[in-house]
Amino acid sequence: MKPLMSARHLTKQYGGRNGCRDVSFDLYPGEVLCIVGESGSGKTTLLNTLALRTDADGGALTYTDANGAALDLLALSEPRRRMLARTEWGFVQQNPRDGLRAGVSAGANIGEPLMAVGARHYGRIRETATQWMRRVELDAERIDELPSAFSGGMQQRLQIARNLVTGPRLVFMDEPTAGLDVSVQARLLDLLRTLTTTLHLSVLIVTHDIGVARLLAHRLMVMQGGTVVESGLTDQVLDDPQHPYTQTLVASVLPV
Amino acid sequence: MTQETSNLSNTAAATRAFVDNPALMLRAERVCKTFTLHGQGGIRIDALSGVSLDVERGECVVLAGPSGAGKSSFLRCLYGNYLASGGRIAIRDDDAPLQHLDITAAEPHDILRLRRNVVGYVSQFLRVIPRVTTLDVVAAPLTVRGVDEAQARQRAATLLARLNVPERLWSLAPATFSGGEQQRVNIARGLIAGHRVLLLDEPTASLDAENREVVAQLIDEARGRGAAIVGVFHDEDTRNRVATRIMTMNAAREQAPITEPA
Repeated sequence: MKPLMSARHLTKQYGGRNGCRDVSFDLYPGEVLCIVGESGSGKTTLLNTLALRTDADGGALTYTDANGAALDLLALSEPRRRMLARTEWGFVQQNPRDGLRAGVSAGANIGEPLMAVGARHYGRIRETATQWMRRVELDAERIDELPSAFSGGMQQRLQIARNLVTGPRLVFMDEPTAGLDVSVQARLLDLLRTLTTTLHLSVLIVTHDIGVARLLAHRLMVMQGGTVVESGLTDQVLDDPQHPYTQTLVASVLPV
Repeated sequence: MTQETSNLSNTAAATRAFVDNPALMLRAERVCKTFTLHGQGGIRIDALSGVSLDVERGECVVLAGPSGAGKSSFLRCLYGNYLASGGRIAIRDDDAPLQHLDITAAEPHDILRLRRNVVGYVSQFLRVIPRVTTLDVVAAPLTVRGVDEAQARQRAATLLARLNVPERLWSLAPATFSGGEQQRVNIARGLIAGHRVLLLDEPTASLDAENREVVAQLIDEARGRGAAIVGVFHDEDTRNRVATRIMTMNAAREQAPITEPA
């Protein structure tokens, strides 16, 4: 099996600091890879660099597209990057308001990405949007309401529907459960778990929450000061952490 | 990489072992495990110092020895849950070149595949997933392999019934179940996929005699199918009932922690 995405010595610096340095990994189809670390560790910078939202300063990044072609992402032209982001990728923001369009209805928020890849039949788009509302456990009766009429947890599920409706192969998520009530968080985690398994999605997810990582991820990368200090299978990294920082991180989790 | 080079002759020997002996399922060679507690002044604790074990198809090797002898640590190393600090662990893997995977040197991606297809692990406790029903928790190891959902649930129902988990509980998430019920759900989940290598860490710890006997029968049946089993059982009756061989372990050197040289 070929990796879906391969990073080698990927580096992003802001004036020589605060970025990510020398990151290498292979992500395979169907794998959920979690990037954990505290604020300022460079995990969001890494995610944005991988999703081509910020330009890398060095290293290599390869992606195998739906046709099996290996693309050198750092050399890809801007129109092709945008095409890739629209057709094969999703990006779920920490704050749903950043990932949704406030001025249009819930149904339009889900339908828009479909129109961007060429869907034109209004009835079918609405039908698909209705199905996705149900799939992310939203009341389909509320399809014509604006995002602002929904609670934070519901908005996050709406954002997930908007990102998955086009059937992406790779989804980036930046702290998707942060800022939600614990009970709302559990429901969202369970939903994400089910969707990633049934849709056979590959996911790169950034979180500072070890519990989220334990529940969702197959593999972990632990970041500190812009570098990956430890990586491996989720249960191995959490049950037998090797690096001093990872040991502190795991020991700091309050028992439930 | 340097370690890989120095182990080249050993690797060659193990390669031949899995090709030459079709019954060999697992080979652990001089496995060591040392925990370094960086938060506590770099104290090092030796859990395993050079444990070796071969397990063949149809065997059930029970690990015995006093508490602190490293039985659970060894099982966890075999599963890749703990990183071995030294030695080698190879497990039969028909999808790998030369019919085995060296899990002490493998990529996470390959260990995930091995866990899906070859190695199953039953711990003492069920790691509860919120909101997922008991039936789906048990069926999951089959569905991730691509088995049809209805068929997987059917198999899960059969196993849960055999383990005397009341049918009214099947559609509930196991978070609120009693310790014994959770443990039986965990066993059903661990055994459903018919893994060819099974690692069992005190799977009968909180079960009554009747259910311990059901588990013992399921272990016998797994052996009959050709599974290779390594287990830890705290009660002597179950241990003697299921074991084809007993390996006694002793605490690694002495228990006194060694301070990391500065």
